[in-house]
Amino acid sequence: MTTVDRTELSVALFTTIARARAVEDALAVHIRDHGFAGYWHPGKGQEAAATGAAAALARDDYLFYQGRGVTWPLAKGMGLGPIIGDLLGKATGSTGGKGAGVPHWADASLGIMGEGASLGSVFHIAAGAALSAKMRGTSQVALADFGDGTSARGTFHETLLQASVWRLPLIYFCENNGISVSTRFEDVSPTKTIAERAAAYGVPGEVVDGHDALAVYDAVAKAVERARAGQGPTLIEATVTRVGGHWEGDAQQYRPADFLADYRDPLEIMRSRVDGDLADKIVAEARDEVAAALEEAEAAPYPDPTVILKDVFA
Amino acid sequence: MSVETVPDTAVISYDAAQGAALAEEMRRDPTVFLMGQDVAMGGFFGGGRGLVEEFGLERVRNTGITEAFMVGAAAGAAMTGMRPVVQLGFADFSLIAGDEIFQKLGKWRHMHGGQFELPAVIIMPIGPSGGAGPEHSGSMEMLPMHFPGLKAVVPSNPADAKGLLKAAIRDPNPVLYYPSKQLNFKRGPVPSDPDLVIPLGQAAIARPGTTVSVISYGCMVPRVLEAAQALSAESIDLEVIDLRTLVPLDRDTILASVTKTGRAMIVHEAPRTAGPGAEIAALIQEHCFYALEAPVARLGAVDAPIPASRFLEDLCFPSVTDIVELARRLARA
Repeated sequence: MTTVDRTELSVALFTTIARARAVEDALAVHIRDHGFAGYWHPGKGQEAAATGAAAALARDDYLFYQGRGVTWPLAKGMGLGPIIGDLLGKATGSTGGKGAGVPHWADASLGIMGEGASLGSVFHIAAGAALSAKMRGTSQVALADFGDGTSARGTFHETLLQASVWRLPLIYFCENNGISVSTRFEDVSPTKTIAERAAAYGVPGEVVDGHDALAVYDAVAKAVERARAGQGPTLIEATVTRVGGHWEGDAQQYRPADFLADYRDPLEIMRSRVDGDLADKIVAEARDEVAAALEEAEAAPYPDPTVILKDVFA
Repeated sequence: MSVETVPDTAVISYDAAQGAALAEEMRRDPTVFLMGQDVAMGGFFGGGRGLVEEFGLERVRNTGITEAFMVGAAAGAAMTGMRPVVQLGFADFSLIAGDEIFQKLGKWRHMHGGQFELPAVIIMPIGPSGGAGPEHSGSMEMLPMHFPGLKAVVPSNPADAKGLLKAAIRDPNPVLYYPSKQLNFKRGPVPSDPDLVIPLGQAAIARPGTTVSVISYGCMVPRVLEAAQALSAESIDLEVIDLRTLVPLDRDTILASVTKTGRAMIVHEAPRTAGPGAEIAALIQEHCFYALEAPVARLGAVDAPIPASRFLEDLCFPSVTDIVELARRLARA
């Protein structure tokens, strides 16, 4: 990649993080002032992982994410209108108002295939999408995003086993923030990293600094290349920090004092690679955009009650 | 559909009829593929022999003992343009893939605002099979009646096994297909027409009658028909309804029949308590109360795990004698 490309990429990554951060900040205020329609799991501080990973995917690659923060759909190309619409449970959301708080954002045309909220439940669904791409002869890959907590699920093991044997174009992408609700990773994992487990399945595993979107991009781009070349799955573990609580309003009495010791702000890391004036402009624009989208979502109608019985069957 | 009126028929087993449906649909539609444990050797049930020779290991995919994976992967493949058919060896194993069946296949479309179709079929044999034991003899076809988003099929004869499986594969929704292990080797006439499908949601009047409506499905249908034959000598004329699918449930056929006869009983292989019969009895009571001459009656399996002992196993399910006695009592009520 040329220097110019690298600069452009940095601007793009910074823009996504700035927009995601603006949503996070605006939502925190909104929830404080107005309450909320559902459960919200803030993603502040973890924006770089999804930003870098999504940037390495093509528009028609499949994304199955787990729900913390707003970065995944934003980074994969969804507009603020449907994202915030879903957060507030409005008809303008991507689910037509069925989601709220932990919204199941989806847009098939952007490869945003949705979320499984019984955690650890998208490994095999993503593998099925990867299998489908392979059988249909496309070059699409599927990315399964998960947290350190769900690396304990049997589905993690079953799927990596089968996906490796079948050489599926699948990327296991872990956002390891070291804590699931209140349980610390080291208390429930016999291995120091999740990436090292990949070896047991004959799959490459790599740990990357998830605070740095550019580093994440590089790792995922390499995995995408492997997948498209028919070389099978890759496991990438991005180390990130959960700056806030598990949910908005979580008092976090369980949180150890040293928990934020390794935290470096992903926004600042990317800002250091972007021209200062441009960076200021991007941040200001993001804030304005988000404020406008939030205002629009607040004014938007709630869904018609008939949506409850719609879409049970095709 | 009447099998007798179709000129081109062959007499084959229930199990082979499923295999024929799979082969025909795989030939017709390149997005149809089969996945499961031991499917390459034909599977334990379901007549899959010969499929791997014709379609290769790409479309007849052997998996490990990974029920959650098979069904979860089917969900992902279905929502991205394929039509997977998963063979779970026994319906009991559907509980191992419970999250994948009930929360993913059944809910994904709805919870994502109707953006995806999930045309997947999960084949999972139900009932006893001569000593399969408590963890391999489950009849859990009532579950999709309670969990929205899933269709459910229970064929009672070879022709239906084929026509319903073809309809299930062509349906844009997830369909749970429950063949009965007891019927596996039962033979019957099956139409050869590769486009003959039996629409989901249409019950069959397996035997028209006037005295008592007997609502049944799956392996109990032959027993009910045998009971009807025995009772005809006593001028008790059973109308036998074969539901064929539990979701969608053909309410119109049930209610019209009970309105006509004024007497209803439901016979199934699933445990009696909270089985499909409980729902159907409530439905009849709600809609046909003033037509009823007697309380709605139910027969089902005992509320106990099914023992592996063959001697005890058979005692757990409604027999022809049980059906005759209950129908006689209803007819005289």
